Amino acid sequence: MGVIELAGVARRYETGGGVVTALAGVDLTVDAGELVVVLGPSGSGKTTLLNLIGALDTPSEGRASVAGHDLAAASRGELFRYRRETVSFVFQSFNLFPGLTALENVRFGADVAGRDDAVGVARDVLVQVGLGDRVDHFPAMLSGGEQQRVAIARALATGNPVLLADEPTGELDFHTGTQILQLLRDQASSGRAVLVVTHNREIARMADRVVELSGGQVVHVGPPEGGPVPVDELRW
Amino acid sequence: MARSTTSRHPSVLWLRWSWRDLRARWVQVTAIALVIALGTGMYLGLSSSAAWRQVSYDASYAESNAHDLLVETATGTTADRLALETALDQVAHPEWFADRSVRLVVPVQVDASTDDEDVLVPGQIVGVDVVQGPTVDRVTVTEGRPLTAADDGRLVGLAELRFANARNLPVEHEVRISGDRSLQLQGHAQSPEYFPTASEEAGIFGSAGFAVLFAPLGTAQALNAQEGQVNEVGVALADGVDAEAARAEVEQALSAALPDVALTVTPLVEERGYRILYDDIDGDQRLFNIFAGLILAGAAFAAFNLTGRIVEAQRREIGIGMSLGVPSPLLAVRPLLVAFQVALIGVAAGIGVGLVVGSVMSTIIQSFFPMPAWQTPFQVGIFARGITLGIVLVVVASLFPVVRAVRVPPIEAIHTGPRATRGAGLAVRGRGLHLPGNSLVQMPVRNVLRAPRRTALTALGIAAVIATLVAVLGMIDSFIDTIDRAEVEVTSRNPERVSVGLATYTTADDPRVAALADVEGVAETRPTLDLGGTLRGNGEEFDVYVGLLDFASPIWAPSAVAGELVTDEPGLVLSQKAAADLGVAPGDRVSFEHPRREGGGYRMVQGEILVTALHPNPLRAIAYMDMRHADYFGLDGIVNGVQVLPEPGYPQEQLVRNLFVQSGVGSVQSVRMIIDTLRDTVAEVLDIFDVVQLAVLLLALLIAFNSSAIGADERAREHATMFAFGITPRTVLGIAVAESALMGVLATVLGVVAGRLLLSWMVEVLLPTTLPDLQVDVSVQVGTYLTAALFGIVAVAVAPVFTLRRLRRMDIPSTLRVVE
Repeated sequence: MGVIELAGVARRYETGGGVVTALAGVDLTVDAGELVVVLGPSGSGKTTLLNLIGALDTPSEGRASVAGHDLAAASRGELFRYRRETVSFVFQSFNLFPGLTALENVRFGADVAGRDDAVGVARDVLVQVGLGDRVDHFPAMLSGGEQQRVAIARALATGNPVLLADEPTGELDFHTGTQILQLLRDQASSGRAVLVVTHNREIARMADRVVELSGGQVVHVGPPEGGPVPVDELRW
Repeated sequence: MARSTTSRHPSVLWLRWSWRDLRARWVQVTAIALVIALGTGMYLGLSSSAAWRQVSYDASYAESNAHDLLVETATGTTADRLALETALDQVAHPEWFADRSVRLVVPVQVDASTDDEDVLVPGQIVGVDVVQGPTVDRVTVTEGRPLTAADDGRLVGLAELRFANARNLPVEHEVRISGDRSLQLQGHAQSPEYFPTASEEAGIFGSAGFAVLFAPLGTAQALNAQEGQVNEVGVALADGVDAEAARAEVEQALSAALPDVALTVTPLVEERGYRILYDDIDGDQRLFNIFAGLILAGAAFAAFNLTGRIVEAQRREIGIGMSLGVPSPLLAVRPLLVAFQVALIGVAAGIGVGLVVGSVMSTIIQSFFPMPAWQTPFQVGIFARGITLGIVLVVVASLFPVVRAVRVPPIEAIHTGPRATRGAGLAVRGRGLHLPGNSLVQMPVRNVLRAPRRTALTALGIAAVIATLVAVLGMIDSFIDTIDRAEVEVTSRNPERVSVGLATYTTADDPRVAALADVEGVAETRPTLDLGGTLRGNGEEFDVYVGLLDFASPIWAPSAVAGELVTDEPGLVLSQKAAADLGVAPGDRVSFEHPRREGGGYRMVQGEILVTALHPNPLRAIAYMDMRHADYFGLDGIVNGVQVLPEPGYPQEQLVRNLFVQSGVGSVQSVRMIIDTLRDTVAEVLDIFDVVQLAVLLLALLIAFNSSAIGADERAREHATMFAFGITPRTVLGIAVAESALMGVLATVLGVVAGRLLLSWMVEVLLPTTLPDLQVDVSVQVGTYLTAALFGIVAVAVAPVFTLRRLRRMDIPSTLRVVE
């Protein structure tokens, strides 16, 4: 049984011009320790899918279950708790707190998940992402890659079983981007379910499985052509 | 043919764009416009009221044909009318003098009780010439009928308007006066000398506690057994005549014709009442300017904040403009247009606020100083100045963030990547700061440190308002403290004692004086003698009211805060304020002009007198002398008042009534009543402060709301991130509340310090020139600090609660994906 299980999930929005279907009939299962890349062009519904799994949005129909939580039936309070204890996010534009240092940003993740020794956890995770010497730096003092590593560290510090990354390399150069992807790969290897949303087909080559979306529908699910490759073989 | 919008002048595009900016932030725009409206409105309303007072006072004095010179006999004395008028006819240039009217003003105790309340107060009967006029210092009847020649000698009169209003007297009313006689009041009236009731007693008792009754001259003379006697002549000068020259001429004529009569001649502009009215305008205007200036400063800071935020939001668009080659001045047009339009909206609303404030002020001033000619012309100049000030201040405050934004390199403005992340401000310096609690608990402090400019501007805006609040409330506290000090002094011993004023000077062994000791309810009596005089020194000159009493009296004697009360040499016990103004201390001598009995009359003499001690009463005009030294005035054995100690438990009101009906009694008042009426007077003055206080409280709330609305906008993305990590809206709101509270604490500390400094300046520099007769010391009650904290901290802290709905309805995914 997968950590993430979606069955017939759809999301529709009421707009001035009528109903817009962002997602329709999505079935998806993601297991622990699996890295899944959601691929698709702009407007294909991949971020909507990520938001539904992250409980930032609710499905219009279908069943969404993550780590045993039925997201469609959960109350508002249960969804907040779910976000604290089950999923963690990495955003394209990092969304770090500019008034907190790297250590404090990461500690935030540990604090909200209610982990003991939040400072110790934050230090360990920062070392893990290669920023052990940048703990007292504020986001404005860090490079883009470093900021994104802090963002990943913040997500890891929660200790939550599901990691959701929305275009995590979108604002980074190739070299920095591959460092970030390696970190995500490592998280999957350590047992987390990792879902990465991207429009970059090259990144999909590192996935255990690729889910391709178009017009809000899943058009392909399966391992990348030729099987997953190590991150250092990616080129773009 | 219809023209498309794109074919219009380019300025239309900028204008339309700025309108969209305004619409997008309509809540903040409205809040800031209201702040500007209150600031400009307060300036317009308060300043207009000052201008109205000037024109209304001028018109009222002119309409009543107020005297230019006032001839007065020494306190408690009178002169023969015929002799006085004959003397005045002897002036060298009769053509300088247009007209004159005589009066007899006598102290009296008045029982004007109505069905609703007991009104038993000291006062004056002002006998006016109803046969020939009065043509000078006309008595203008506001209700009822005027006094006519047929009334002369009849027991009829008119109640002075302020007293009548304060006591809600009916138009026709019977009052009882000293000596158990009655006077039928025919209406309410005004006369220039009583526009503000200017005698020392009235200054102490207030309009509600001092009854001025106009009566026919013959009636006043008969009531006081002073047929043919007068003690005032109002002289009107011909147009263009110099008052000082005329005064010299009158003095010369009087001293030549009446050498034994102590007379003073005072030009209208030097009279206490006139000075009170006009000096008050300037003093109030200076206060109003300060309050309006502070309020406008708060508005300017708020506008600065909003413009800065709009510019920040437009940073990337400005960068795009730069990359397209748009000149910087043109890029500045859009945000400046926004600021200008916010200012315009605010100032337009400010005109309405100004009219309302002006109307309220007009009502307050009219009730305090009712004038026969009250004029409220629209003050074009003041409105033009206020409108310009409101717009310029806001636009200038907005210039800084705009100029700063359009001067950055285009690449910096257009950048959306990680380098665009805003700096950490003072947080960098504070990173070594170890705060307790987890990251959520620490976040409010970190946020405050992170944007020092925004923190400072918001704090300064709120601090300006808190400073005004502290200054206004502190002023009220200081006045109340002044009265409290007076109360402590006069009630230090036998607080139930009663002070009796005799209708005339008499000998201490007068049976009428002795009879007072036998009145029911009286335990003990001590005679007193009250005299007027003038002190000079250190460039100051002011009148004093000297009370001669037995310093060894068991009933009451002043306390000395410096020097010795009992001395062998005659000397004055002055108030601390008087001594400070005159630059003297106990042991020094001071110039003293006073009446002295010589032969059968009185003469004003000038001399040096010893200052023996200082008393703590804050009223400068009050001075004392040991009764043993009455011969200093040639009045050994003469009295005109009696201190009365009631029997323990005897009802004071009944005692006052018992004394009131005694022969020879002019006035009766308890010392408690003096304090109560003083409190009433101060309460009337403080009505004006209440108007300012209300505006300031509204402003504090508006700025607090505005600040939190801006904060909620700026923090939207951080809040969305927190929601993504499962932090509930309540916790996010808690962080915002804590951050606002910190801001509020900072603003309150700044505001209290600034307000305290401002209060010190107002009390120590401004008040001595506008209210020289009162020693007001800076006093700020705990309640004032608590009020400042309530509005500066609590209101500011609670303001983010209004953003809860917005937080709950936030579109988290969209907010998270907003490109910096």
